[in-house]
Amino acid sequence: MRNILLLTLLSWTCLAQQQVILKDLTSFQHPSANWTIEGAVQAAYSDTSLQVATGQGVLVNTLRNGKYKRSDDLTFAFSHGDIHLMFDFMLPKKGNSGVYLQGRYEVQLADSWTKKQLNYGDCGGIYERWEDARGKGKEGFEGYAPMQNASKAPGLWQSMEIDFQAPRFDANGKKIQNAIFKKIVLNGILIHENIEMLGVTRGAVSTQEVAAAPILIQGDHTQVAFKNIRYETYDKPSIRMGQVRYDYYTGKFTEPIIGTAKPVESGKLDKLTYKVIKAKNDYLIHYQAELDVPESDAYEFQSYWTGSGVVKVDGIELNQGAHWYSEMVSAKANLKAGKHRLEVIQVKDFPWGPQALGLYVKRIGSHPVALHERTSLLDPEAVGVIEVKANAEPVFQRSFAMHHGKKKTHVIHVGDPSGMHYSYDLKQGAMLQVWRGPFLNATQMWEDRGEPQTAEPLGVTIVLDGKFPLVLDHQAQADSTELVYKGFRLKDGRPIFMYQWPAANVTIEDNIRPNTAGSGFERTLSFKSASTMQSATELILGNSYHGISTISTKLIGLQGQSYFVQWDGRQGAVLSPKQGLKQQRIPMQGNEVSYQLIW
Amino acid sequence: MKNIHYTFALLLLTFCAIAQKPTPKSEQDYYEIKTLPIPKEIYLEVGGLATMPDGRIAVSTRRGEIWIIENPYQLTNHQVHYKRFASGMHEVLGLAYRDGAFYCSQRGELTKVTDTDRDGVADLYEPIYQFDISGNYHEYTYGPVFDKNGDMLVTLNLAWVGFGEGKFAKWRGWLVKIHPDGTLEPFAAGLRSPAGYSINQDGDIFYGENQGDWVGSGRVTHLAKGDFAGNPGGLKWAKEPNSPFRLTLEEIQDNGAPMYEAATKVKNLKLPAVWFPHAIMGISTSDVLQDTTRGKFSPFPGQYFVADQGQSKIMRMGLEKVNGVYQGFCINYREGFQSGILRERFGLDGSLFVGMTSRGWGSTGKDEFGLQRLLWNGQMPFEIQDIQAKSDGFEISFTQSVDVASVKKAASYALRSYIYKYQHQYGSPIIELMNLKISGVEVSADKRKVRLVIEGLRQYFIHEFKLEGIRNEAGEPLLHETAYYTLNQIPSGSKLAVQASHRLVETVAVKAVVVKPKKKSTVISDAEAMALLKKHTCLACHAKEAKVVGPSYSDIAKRNYTDKQILALVYKPNPQNWPEYATEMAPMSHVPAGDVLKIASWINGLRNKALLNHD
Repeated sequence: MRNILLLTLLSWTCLAQQQVILKDLTSFQHPSANWTIEGAVQAAYSDTSLQVATGQGVLVNTLRNGKYKRSDDLTFAFSHGDIHLMFDFMLPKKGNSGVYLQGRYEVQLADSWTKKQLNYGDCGGIYERWEDARGKGKEGFEGYAPMQNASKAPGLWQSMEIDFQAPRFDANGKKIQNAIFKKIVLNGILIHENIEMLGVTRGAVSTQEVAAAPILIQGDHTQVAFKNIRYETYDKPSIRMGQVRYDYYTGKFTEPIIGTAKPVESGKLDKLTYKVIKAKNDYLIHYQAELDVPESDAYEFQSYWTGSGVVKVDGIELNQGAHWYSEMVSAKANLKAGKHRLEVIQVKDFPWGPQALGLYVKRIGSHPVALHERTSLLDPEAVGVIEVKANAEPVFQRSFAMHHGKKKTHVIHVGDPSGMHYSYDLKQGAMLQVWRGPFLNATQMWEDRGEPQTAEPLGVTIVLDGKFPLVLDHQAQADSTELVYKGFRLKDGRPIFMYQWPAANVTIEDNIRPNTAGSGFERTLSFKSASTMQSATELILGNSYHGISTISTKLIGLQGQSYFVQWDGRQGAVLSPKQGLKQQRIPMQGNEVSYQLIW
Repeated sequence: MKNIHYTFALLLLTFCAIAQKPTPKSEQDYYEIKTLPIPKEIYLEVGGLATMPDGRIAVSTRRGEIWIIENPYQLTNHQVHYKRFASGMHEVLGLAYRDGAFYCSQRGELTKVTDTDRDGVADLYEPIYQFDISGNYHEYTYGPVFDKNGDMLVTLNLAWVGFGEGKFAKWRGWLVKIHPDGTLEPFAAGLRSPAGYSINQDGDIFYGENQGDWVGSGRVTHLAKGDFAGNPGGLKWAKEPNSPFRLTLEEIQDNGAPMYEAATKVKNLKLPAVWFPHAIMGISTSDVLQDTTRGKFSPFPGQYFVADQGQSKIMRMGLEKVNGVYQGFCINYREGFQSGILRERFGLDGSLFVGMTSRGWGSTGKDEFGLQRLLWNGQMPFEIQDIQAKSDGFEISFTQSVDVASVKKAASYALRSYIYKYQHQYGSPIIELMNLKISGVEVSADKRKVRLVIEGLRQYFIHEFKLEGIRNEAGEPLLHETAYYTLNQIPSGSKLAVQASHRLVETVAVKAVVVKPKKKSTVISDAEAMALLKKHTCLACHAKEAKVVGPSYSDIAKRNYTDKQILALVYKPNPQNWPEYATEMAPMSHVPAGDVLKIASWINGLRNKALLNHD
């Protein structure tokens, strides 16, 4: 099969990272005795320490002797320049740690759960800088609070993604470009974008900035745990492209096939660009160039064009099809080191739409290389967000909403001034998701014609199973339950949903509101008409494909400890309705049953 | 000296008075528009309007709110007061008030909204009916309109997937009746985009339809139970056991022949009561409302007022029943509203509340949304009062006595008839165009009625009347000189025995023949271009610089079309050329090629100007 092999398209994140192996501490330099490799950790949201279970895969910092010291900070074995770093972490209540890129620029990890006013010292903050010379009380300066509080409760696994660009130096070692946090994403929420670091943050290993240095995890404050540490660095060489030859054809081409046509113009270019095309439509352009592949590896070709086109390497078609310029088309090829022949053919047989041509090559371990002139690819325009706010009083908004990849059509989102919000499927009496932060993004409903008609959470979201939670004794939970929706009434501005449940022959009310502590929602389902069935009714507290962690009596962690469920009343039982799935049930007592969702 | 000066001045004044013709009257001299101010933080994209029994006006919006407006008649103060009654619903495109509660349509639900504790804010939202929807944005739900039995009419828009499609969700493309007990009765089908409908004083339902696939032009159709109004998108549901009729797509001809031909095979295919010629009488027909104010709202009690979203105007429709079939005419009434009109409801004072939104659809009125009131100041304009079909022509009545000499002149009239294709393609050109000749005219004794005997009446066709030369006794022209009558039925009855006295006076054109040296440049001036563009109603959708419903002429110029390409595109538009515009252009093949080419060269001249300006 010659020197090229097509790969099926895999998600970028699967391939893009190297994993830090956490079966022992060999990935770290001189770890203090506080750092251990464990199998699992857990904690209640009110616990100031983590419960640890032996095993592998989790990196834990626990105070072993006396007091925490700076020498308890943990330094990675490898040095990095530009890096894309992803990891999961868990903090106990009042936990405090941090990740120093290059040992110098700290992203704070801290228990900032439910805090309203944030600063640089809160979770996801870029820590302040410090100079004693500035004078007493004025030493601290700069520092960046996260754009919003994206923290989850202590005792839950949280995720962080950091895209960091190292400072650049000239041949004499003079800094010519500051370090930049290109992106920081906490629990799925973008909290910083393109923050330029004017210097190192407080507690850096050195004030001297460098091109490469190892990551340091702050270990001198409290317990903290990490898992799933993945990263990509960008040290490998990538493809270089030689001079481009282009041939320009005019006429009606619906497909990127030249056939017997003769070019009306030919020429040479340094890079690909559509700007040599004279017409708005009815043309074909054919670019050819030599690619110099430095090392045998998989190379991903990412193309953008308006119209139809094809990218070929050594005559084999990679990217193809009819697309709009804002859609990325991606295909991978395994290329051997040496010379390869690139061809790009592009046609546009309609007059509308902006002309564009972009082609990047991405090798894991190196930054994408643009084979096109910058001006050949437009930046897609963003529109201003239309936000529904819930700052002053409870609000609700119906819309379509996506849930597990499906569009639900009868959804209501309920926003609360406490900053906790949920989405609810009115057809199913089911909670679809809960989140904390700003309320609702309605841009896709109300901008222009609003073709998607969907609304989305603006905060840290826990996606729930979207099923009606009650079943009759010992019955399986159906994907959909026959219910007659009877509307909702407002109490203190918050809806209480009303249903007729024919199988149990009862009228039900479903009342979801913030719990008194403000830590989550309390959901109460009550029977409003007499029924002989209530003693035989069970409430399903949650379904989990990642096990159920029993943290204490009537407090469990679900979906890999991504949220807590807590309840009073009877203990209930954990069922396993199918392979890999765990389900916590409790029996209904009296006319109502309630539980809390905490995250 | 002083005296002399004085006399001279007087003379000058007199001279001016004689030389000046009376200024032509405009719509605003009779029909006034009042604007209700909207607080800046309210996004009042109007979806529904309801007049409450106490005279307050309720407005529902795209953003799911219901606002109640106090002082809507602006009696002692121009300021009006908004109170949010309900919120959080999913795009409320229809609103009604009945027995202390609001009834409204959300996309997926007909909802009753009640304020049980009477604190002015709703606290109970109950579904009357849950509609099936697929999630396609174009599945709009409109209504309810209550009938006299207390049943609720709701119309269900088709989905849009490059064409109108109803198969994804039940009863899309239908008008359904929801009974108070929550049961659904399918009533009529063939609807495409039924944004506006109402029930007249006789209990008959009329709805406005937009041009689109299977809809050659905008129109108003009377819907009786079991009617099929023409778009087959929702016919999947005619197989349901409770459908009032059976019909499949395969039974409908799609050969571009007019709808009346298809109706000979499909018995329940309902022809429009009145066609609204596309781009001339609107581009997106919305609400239809009969004037039930007994002379308070307009000089035309009992006639209908049909709104248009894209052209931000209100037209007038007069109906009569011939052989049991509704038909009639349409004519412009009032243009110049602030945004795209979706809703009309009468206030208790007989003024018409006009609720507007342009959202992503675009409209001639440039505001994103608005709320205005239309009222008649009581002055009698010179207008066509009514048009009625006769066995041999038409009888036109006027609001004022006509100048008999003007009525007798052949040059006062231009009459023609035409029709549209019935096809799956979007819209239609005008087809089977024919100029009509008047063979006799009879003026009634009170000079209020003119009977026209016409050669070549064609059943089902749109008969266009241009009465440019008609004058009242004061010598004034009509406020609106052009009307369109849809002749579904030709009545029986006596024919006018045409005598010499009925013949029209053919005026011999005595035109000074001036041979002008031919200009080198064939490009017409801006003023000439504007006159042509106005004459052919192009300006309803396009402007020189601004994006209106369609692209600006400057933007068209940038496409580098040749004049001939522009001609071809005017006659056969290709909406794909402008995918960012919501409203597709109608074929304008009735505009003479010479005029289009003049316009085209003017458009292309704009490109050169633009280049010059940039240099």
